[in-house]
Amino acid sequence: MKEIKILFIIAIIVLIGYWGIEPFAHHEMYGNIPEPDFKYSDLKYKLNIQGNPQEGESLFKQNCQSCHSLNAKNLKALMDKDTAQNAFNVVPPDLSNIAAIVDHHFLFNFLKNPQEATKNPKFAMPPMSQLSDKQIADIIAFLSSVAKKDISGAEVIKDGCTRCHSIKYKKITAFTKENYLKKYLGKVPPDLSLKGRSKDKEYLEAFINNPQSVLPGTSMPRLGLTEESTQKAIKYLEDIADPHKEERNKIGFWVIVYMLIGVVLTYAWKKKVWKSVK
Amino acid sequence: MDEKISRRDFLLYAIGGWAAVGAGATLYAMYKTWEPLPEVKAAGVVEFDLSLVQPGEVRVIEWRRKPVFILRRTPDMKSDCPKRTIKTKLGEFTVVIGICTHLGCIPNWEPENHIWHCPCHGGKYNACGINIFGPPPRPLEIPPFKLKGNIIVLGEEGPEYKAMKA
Amino acid sequence: MRFIDWLDERLAIRKIIKITLIDYKVPKNINFLWSFGMLLVLMFAILFISGLFLLMYYKPDSKLAFDSVNKTIMMDVSFGWLFRHVHAVGASIVFLLLYIHIARGIFYGSYKAPREVVWLTGYILFILFSATAFTGYLLPWGQMSYWAAQTITTLFEKIPFIGPDLVIWIRGDYAVADSTLTRFFALHVVFLPVLIMIFMGLHLYAVRVVGSNNEDGKKIDKEKEGVPFWPVFMSKEFFVMTVFLTFFFYLVFFKFDFAMDKINFEPANPLQTPTHIYPEWYFLAYYEVLRGFFFSQNLGLIAFALSMVLIAFLPWLDKSPIVSGKYRPLFKVAFWVFVIDFLVLTILGKLPPTGIYAWIGLFASLVYFGFFISLPIIARIEKKKFRGTTDERN
Repeated sequence: MKEIKILFIIAIIVLIGYWGIEPFAHHEMYGNIPEPDFKYSDLKYKLNIQGNPQEGESLFKQNCQSCHSLNAKNLKALMDKDTAQNAFNVVPPDLSNIAAIVDHHFLFNFLKNPQEATKNPKFAMPPMSQLSDKQIADIIAFLSSVAKKDISGAEVIKDGCTRCHSIKYKKITAFTKENYLKKYLGKVPPDLSLKGRSKDKEYLEAFINNPQSVLPGTSMPRLGLTEESTQKAIKYLEDIADPHKEERNKIGFWVIVYMLIGVVLTYAWKKKVWKSVK
Repeated sequence: MDEKISRRDFLLYAIGGWAAVGAGATLYAMYKTWEPLPEVKAAGVVEFDLSLVQPGEVRVIEWRRKPVFILRRTPDMKSDCPKRTIKTKLGEFTVVIGICTHLGCIPNWEPENHIWHCPCHGGKYNACGINIFGPPPRPLEIPPFKLKGNIIVLGEEGPEYKAMKA
Repeated sequence: MRFIDWLDERLAIRKIIKITLIDYKVPKNINFLWSFGMLLVLMFAILFISGLFLLMYYKPDSKLAFDSVNKTIMMDVSFGWLFRHVHAVGASIVFLLLYIHIARGIFYGSYKAPREVVWLTGYILFILFSATAFTGYLLPWGQMSYWAAQTITTLFEKIPFIGPDLVIWIRGDYAVADSTLTRFFALHVVFLPVLIMIFMGLHLYAVRVVGSNNEDGKKIDKEKEGVPFWPVFMSKEFFVMTVFLTFFFYLVFFKFDFAMDKINFEPANPLQTPTHIYPEWYFLAYYEVLRGFFFSQNLGLIAFALSMVLIAFLPWLDKSPIVSGKYRPLFKVAFWVFVIDFLVLTILGKLPPTGIYAWIGLFASLVYFGFFISLPIIARIEKKKFRGTTDERN
């Protein structure tokens, strides 16, 4: 009947408008986000040697411990945080879980030439040119042996990101002080508290995987996260940005049920009242 | 009888008029409350000592909530722009508002290339602040200024500024 | 004595109810589009109440505002997220209701004599709601909040002579700043809602005096062909409201991104413009008219102002003796062209203004004004045809 026709016309106009303003416009504005490459196929060195974890441990102590701590084995960095910030403008990360977070092919290339792997010519860590391929493989094998097996998204973010990024809604402050970060990166990196809500998943995947592909000229380094760590990190960011999602969905369901019952009741009353109208 | 009515009317008009005067005064006071606060107005005029800038260096200072780039030019920089050059005893300066004329982002100075490069859409400006590449439609804007020896006063129009605009 | 009699002795309750609800009759031949006024009152009440509860935790200070909304209200306060969602989705949906309500008025000729004051008070309400939305959007102090306010207040610089000083006066500073936030807060929370309530009262009173229009635009004998407002018309209203609220709550809980743009979850940064700035959907059409005349900034500005004002003049642009669009084939064409054009302008307002979009935008802006120009022409044609037929004036 007539009112259904009017409702139908309104619905069509609203749906076309919604499509144009939301999905269509977003596509036109933000275009094509590049596909992430979790294989890091642009890095040319191949890791095809089996490393020895025991040799890796002593190599770690000789070559890495000067700057990096390894909490999993209670190894403190020889350089303290303040000296490190002064020297490098950034606090070197603890490496306990690095082998679980980062792709090993990436890590191999990274140790040979951090600036190229991270695509940041000003990256603070120097190349480990004193190490042979076998030695690098040993270190990676050692790090794999100490890394946590089932790392959480929160841990990925903590070990991988918080030397530069704060998460103030979770009371997490970046390990490096702001004035050093400004010197290192040109500006203080943005807080991550709401990135799970201000950016969509596609964007975050592409950005974490290869910042330059989404924001050319950015000072954020590529960090070589595996696909699994990337997904865990993004899920964590989404969860902290939208902590009431489950509650909202649950309450929403029952509110809709309540309203639908209300529709039935009001329709019944309307029909009854209008029956007596000529 | 007629006299009484006209006097009553006159008084009514007088009261109405008098109320309007009061309302006008109140509206004026309300209008004034929206003016910028003294500390904001004070920051509307900013003085800066140009001798603090090294040759080839760009300093960024805040003026009226906008970044202002102050570049002390070196001889090898693009300088054939008499209408955009501030000549002082210390040498030639470029003083421009650091807001890209395309969509309002803040360009970054690249010392190796002697250009300002806007991160948003790639616009480029030379050492005179003139747009040389990309979407920007106009050169960077020059703020009103006055020279007091080596001190530049932003926010006041001096003769040098007026000569540039001519 | 019963309580109702005690009250009646002191407040004349029975008489009031009889006059305003039971004896008040509305035409029978009105479809559910006539229920949108009630939906607007409902939505205003929902916005007022949700806004009140947000007000208890919101901090109107440029350093505190963003976190008070996105941390305190959205994460810490019990059901804070619910009140925020209701308020944001409500603010957006109220414009959908407004546009449908206005479209009904245009189509059925509800602006014609003697309903001009209804139309004008309605127009003022549209402006008041727009101002409320604009001032409210700055309050979360997100990236889009800041840059929308910065861009739109900059437009006023173009007014001759007083422009630049006017803009500084509006902002209370050289750019949108804390002073702008606090005064927009005062306007949004007190001044504008009070004005809305006053004009709602006037609008409803004006409707009451002249009576509702109906689908056929005919003057009807309400005693014979009307239905009592209570309980007959209200029973239909309850049903329509319940259906609407079901849709509304679906959006509040499950599909709210259109009313809570992602860019606004980034704190305002006066030194970094987002790559794409755009207003909320209900302003997109006027935004597009502003950009539509891409070859002249001044023409765009004048067109922008005109596009928001012309609609007020409808009762004088269209004085055709035939009231309802139902019986006006030429007008129907103009109407639907206008509706589609408004939809096109709205979508274009969100798209980058380059290439083919710029040209379609110019064309669509011209069609928009074409509608208003066509009205007196159509009215004259209809007047000629109408002469000699039976008088069906309202």
